Amino acid sequence: MSREGYQVPTASAGSGAVARGSTGMQDTRSSIMSYLCGDCGGSVHLGKDSTVACPHCAGRVLYKERTKRMVQFEAR
Amino acid sequence: MAPSTKAQWAQPPSKEELERRNTVNINKETVTNTVSTDFPGHFPGEDHAFSIDRFQSGFDITFHQNDQFHASFSLVGIDASLANAFRRILIAEIPTLAIENVFITNNTSVIQDEVLAHRLGLIPFKGGREGLRNFLRFKKGEDAQDYDTVQLDLNVTCTVNTDASPNETDPLKAYHNAHVYAKDITFTPQGRQEQYFSGEDAIVPVNPDILIAKMRPRQTIELSMYMNLGVGSDHSKFSPVATASYRLMPTIKITKPIIGADAQKFANCFPEGVIGLEKVSKKEAGQRGSGYEGHAGELKAVVVDPMRDTVSRECLRHEEFEGKVQLGRRRDHFIFSVESTGQWDSDELFLEAVKKLKQKCKKLEDQVDNMVR
Ligand SMILES: [Zn+2]
Repeated sequence: MSREGYQVPTASAGSGAVARGSTGMQDTRSSIMSYLCGDCGGSVHLGKDSTVACPHCAGRVLYKERTKRMVQFEAR
Repeated sequence: MAPSTKAQWAQPPSKEELERRNTVNINKETVTNTVSTDFPGHFPGEDHAFSIDRFQSGFDITFHQNDQFHASFSLVGIDASLANAFRRILIAEIPTLAIENVFITNNTSVIQDEVLAHRLGLIPFKGGREGLRNFLRFKKGEDAQDYDTVQLDLNVTCTVNTDASPNETDPLKAYHNAHVYAKDITFTPQGRQEQYFSGEDAIVPVNPDILIAKMRPRQTIELSMYMNLGVGSDHSKFSPVATASYRLMPTIKITKPIIGADAQKFANCFPEGVIGLEKVSKKEAGQRGSGYEGHAGELKAVVVDPMRDTVSRECLRHEEFEGKVQLGRRRDHFIFSVESTGQWDSDELFLEAVKKLKQKCKKLEDQVDNMVR
């Protein structure tokens, strides 16, 4: 049950050369990132070359989303 | 020639001498006679070897208060080393169940993940005694088993309360779940835990109103927790007591009469109920050399309840009481105070400490036996 698009790249035997700057099959999908607007709190999707601004309120402060993975802490 | 009398040291110690040995003197600026001397070879001609019969005949326990969260009792006729061993075992060696791992899926509240995890760890929990005592074990391996790990969950989201007036300023009324409390934690029994921790015996926080975090609409906390058994020496969240302490029984000896206005002033030097005022009787006043001559009917200071004294030494600061009072503490009278955090009852904890010390002694005995063999 993978909750995130990112997959750990595995160097499979035989194919030694992996193209840099490319994740292959998920090329278009992974170039769109989701952020949170600091002003209005809305979700903002940005492509590789789009301007850093919120389409809802034009706010220029965007926050990275928290990972959707579970994080373990020691209660100490 | 007079019959030869025994040397003074060859006589058994007098009552006064025994009391002197058993008292720690608390003077104006010093504390003297602090070391116990009841061990073999210290007094010539006296046998102070430890024997279980001697201990039993001299030992006494009295309870002053026995509630779930606070037990107070006196141990009389015991050495400081043993009393202190019980105190230390109470604090650091009796196992309790506490949150050890926190798995956070989402936390958008203002409180950081690690701080939140730390706060959760400090919450005291209670559950079925039978399960806690006999079913649960210390966690050994990596894998969680029903007998060593208890799972809890906390899933709360703050939302706007549409029923509240738009001008409402109290966040508790304006929003749902503005405050996250310990009672929001849910327990999910795993495997055989169902038998031991269901209904009344479910694992729940001792104090349901402990505030964990504050939130505003659209903030959310989504996490699960694993509890393990642990001991206080590892982390104080595992300590079964909020505090376990003892103090020595105070003694107040009025050596010369304190009469009249002085008596009232003397009583005011102590907490309420320690010193009482009594009328000097005609008999006392008639007695020569008693110090009460001609004071019949006046008030004199008498010691009523030295246990309530805090030994502030306030009375030693005043000139008029100089040489009239001797403060001290009884070396072998320990007034214990045990405050449980709620997983166990306070008196139960003391018994558990005795059990633990016994186990340790057994272990040592085995090792000594092996050494001799
Ligand atoms: Zn915005």
